[in-house]
Amino acid sequence: MAENNIKIVSFLCNWCSYGAADLAGVSRMEYPADIRVIRIPCSGRMSPKFILSAFREGADAVWVSG
Amino acid sequence: MNKQLIGSVVVIGGGISGMLSALDLANSGYYVYLVEKGPSIGGVMAQLDKTFPTNDCAM
Amino acid sequence: MPLKYAINPDICLKLTKDKCGTCEEVCPANAIDYTQTEEHITINAGSIIYSPGFTPFDPSKFDNYQYANFPNVITSMEFERILSATGPTMGHVTTFPKLPLNPKKKKDKLLAQKRKDPKKIAWFQCVGSRDINKCDNPYCSSVCCMYAVKEAIIAKEHAGGDLDCSIFYMDMRTPGKEFEKYYENAKDKHGINFIRTKVHSVTENPETHDLNIRYVDDFGQIVDDTYDMIVLSVGLEISEETKALSEKLGIDLTSNGFCKTNSFEPVTSSRDGIYISGVFNNPKDIPDSVLDASAAASAAGDALSSARDTLTKSVEKIEEINVVGERPRIGAFICDCGSNIKGVVDCEAVTEYAKTLPYVEFADESMYACSQDAQSKMVDFIKEKNLNRIVIAACTPKTHEPLFQETLANSGLNKYLFEMTNIRNHNSWVHKNNPDIATQKAKDLVRMAVAKAALAEPLKEEKINVNDSVVVVGGGLAGMTSAKSLATQGYSTHIIEKNNQLGGEAHKLYKTAQGEDVQTQLNELIKEVENNDNITVHCNTTLESADGFVGNFKSTLKSDDKEFELEYGIAVLATGAKAFVPDEYEYGNDERIITSLDLDKMFKVNDTKLDTINSAVFIQCVGSRQPDRPYCSRVCCTHSIDNAIELKKRNPKMNVFIIYRDIRTYGESELLYKEARNLGVIFIRYEVDKKPEVTIKGKNLFIKVTDHVLNMPVEIKTDMLTLATAIVPRKDEKLANFFKVPLNDEGFFIEKHAKLGPAEFATSGVFLAGSGHYPKPVNEAITQGRASASRALTLLAKKDSLFTSGIIANVDPLKCSECGVCVSICPYSAPMFATEGRFEGKAEVNPVLCKGCGLCVASCRSGALHLRGFDTNQIFSQIFALGEVV
Repeated sequence: MAENNIKIVSFLCNWCSYGAADLAGVSRMEYPADIRVIRIPCSGRMSPKFILSAFREGADAVWVSG
Repeated sequence: MNKQLIGSVVVIGGGISGMLSALDLANSGYYVYLVEKGPSIGGVMAQLDKTFPTNDCAM
Repeated sequence: MPLKYAINPDICLKLTKDKCGTCEEVCPANAIDYTQTEEHITINAGSIIYSPGFTPFDPSKFDNYQYANFPNVITSMEFERILSATGPTMGHVTTFPKLPLNPKKKKDKLLAQKRKDPKKIAWFQCVGSRDINKCDNPYCSSVCCMYAVKEAIIAKEHAGGDLDCSIFYMDMRTPGKEFEKYYENAKDKHGINFIRTKVHSVTENPETHDLNIRYVDDFGQIVDDTYDMIVLSVGLEISEETKALSEKLGIDLTSNGFCKTNSFEPVTSSRDGIYISGVFNNPKDIPDSVLDASAAASAAGDALSSARDTLTKSVEKIEEINVVGERPRIGAFICDCGSNIKGVVDCEAVTEYAKTLPYVEFADESMYACSQDAQSKMVDFIKEKNLNRIVIAACTPKTHEPLFQETLANSGLNKYLFEMTNIRNHNSWVHKNNPDIATQKAKDLVRMAVAKAALAEPLKEEKINVNDSVVVVGGGLAGMTSAKSLATQGYSTHIIEKNNQLGGEAHKLYKTAQGEDVQTQLNELIKEVENNDNITVHCNTTLESADGFVGNFKSTLKSDDKEFELEYGIAVLATGAKAFVPDEYEYGNDERIITSLDLDKMFKVNDTKLDTINSAVFIQCVGSRQPDRPYCSRVCCTHSIDNAIELKKRNPKMNVFIIYRDIRTYGESELLYKEARNLGVIFIRYEVDKKPEVTIKGKNLFIKVTDHVLNMPVEIKTDMLTLATAIVPRKDEKLANFFKVPLNDEGFFIEKHAKLGPAEFATSGVFLAGSGHYPKPVNEAITQGRASASRALTLLAKKDSLFTSGIIANVDPLKCSECGVCVSICPYSAPMFATEGRFEGKAEVNPVLCKGCGLCVASCRSGALHLRGFDTNQIFSQIFALGEVV
């Protein structure tokens, strides 16, 4: 993997943001390929531990959206 | 009405409309015979690429 | 669609000449059986639904477009196949598309050498529609404008932005939900050219096979232009075969071969017991065909309601294999989605990579993982390889998860032993210019999904008790129709109507587009509904609250300051829409300036004022198709033309003008447009930036408009101006919140699926009908009313087999500290303290109320709560998998 690869972990709510990411695909929008989506049932599912853990695993940024 | 009704329906045509009629009826408690003259169901919609206005895949 | 081969008996050598027989030899499944012959079977059934569909118009006979002779003139159906990843060119837009990909004939080979990526494509509208000179199809095919716009947009997407797409049309007809915005986007965002003209002729450059066209533009100038390809937007036709069968069935057809129906029974043919749906019942698009389908099912079922459940059998449930305690044996399936994924991602590499991941026993790539053959192969693989967890890397779980879960169930696996990851919408579609990075990302996503799947456990779904009474909100045409059908099927139904009588906006209408008197049939329907023992009508009543979920709703209703409660299982929202009150054209300043509904009222009461009118003007799109209301109100063109004809019939000497933007008389309503022109109604077009001007000068009323033929301003003195006002939604946010259903920007309800779920909401147990969905005429409102009933019926019929999701929270009582955070935080009141038993005082979760959001899980300080399907260790496993270096 290239050194300068940025890694963004995104936690997307199944009901809104995950659907929005689907829609971005349907609309053929383009965005950088640095994000990795983890689908969660609701942003209420988010625990601070997930964010800390993502950083510990080398994420450059964490994005929670819901 | 004294005549005994038959609880089944013949659906002629296996396009999107015929298929969905058949599904609705079968799911509501009627026996369905779906009749299609071609070798497969799906009709014209199966030949389409995308559908308007969402550009969803027709399949 | 079942991807199964069939033998064409007309050309099979074995069947015709008893030669060959190769297919029998090579088929490993021994599926070939030449001895099968035609059989005649007699079926006794209670009803028939006839939905024969249409045939695309064959333009070979049109000599001016030379479809039969020019290789680069093709039909829209052919172009549809060219755009498709499974089509002859695998989605690549190229000239000479009718040739085989690798031609064998010498002549074809020479032509194929001239193949190029087209730079300019033209669409010709109304080929085989709205035309009685070249063919006998006077009607509008309803769908061609939209599909041409779609094909142009997708073509540009496939071929790149510099592709020049032009659509040659007479009127742009985009009267469906979200269609107008699609059309506007095509112009503004995608840069598609719209040229209002009928192309006179097409010639071909014999060398290059480029196509030269000649037409007269908006300013009367003759224009010559060259295109690489021409797509003929062919109309929908009823085949001779369909007409012949209709005759055998004994049902009446219109002069164009469509089925004759009554607006109030829009899916019932002239013969008792035969119901019709789809394009055969007037040209229509997919959602309208889908509504027809459910409506026909409802009509056919209502006639047989006493025999329901007499012939059906219940599904045999496949015994679930117990995998608890087994080491995970994961099967990973990578979908190409035709070229949608494979066009960008190296699916083979991803599949090979998946095989190297921990616990993965098996990985396979398939062209369309969702196709039936791929599904049955998957079942075989699961059984053969003894797989106990499945990972699918394909499109979005939001649409396809249930399908794959069913496949798991069919192979005996609990449907939650499954994980889906989205390598299409979130990957190939959005990173199409970075195939390497997209492939890497797909590998990461698969690795994360595998890590999560390894921790998946079989989950249990709880049974839901369903209250089988129904509440219909809104007592207009759609609501009454829905209630009547559900009541006929034996369900207790309540209609909640805020006004003092049933019938809604239909009370204001004079005639339907087919000329039927609205009031007579409306009053009959009201009487039927009021006399139905299964229907309780609550007039002057409003809904004050709604709690609960499918099968278990509870509402407070208010009637004359009295409040009462109602428990029910299903809700149908049929709240309708209303006429827009115009804010322009001097409305309100002169009693001669009225709306379409005012004119209907005058007709209804046979107002004597009508006899004094010598000149009448209609202005279309008042409040519609403009930035603040960017949708077409669908019914106004037909309504005004209908009323114009009525005026002309009353007084043939009257001057009647219709000032319009596009005439949108879709389907057979086009015949009304023709009739109006024959009667001498004058049509004048205007542009939205050059609206007509209305002035009141003393006793006179003047309308000034720029005539599109003369390209000069004309002034019309009139005795009556009718404004064809927009239909506006009620934008009932309160109601939307009660049932957790969405509204679009304009305030119309958003249905479950624009194509396949037009009469229901994404919220389970809540259904939709009438103009609250989108403006619609009488017959379409009734169709949707019936459709909503049919969809609701499928749920009510499953009453005893309705289950919750398995994705719910549960408590480990040994860890619970009884702090009560989960109890107070849950918006659905699912967790509560156990009041008895061994764990009295500890929290427990009601599985029926739990929505599986995980809020309580995240808030639990003791780690006592788990969210099945999205458990903490599963999410951690995804995060850890991401950290692994590949």
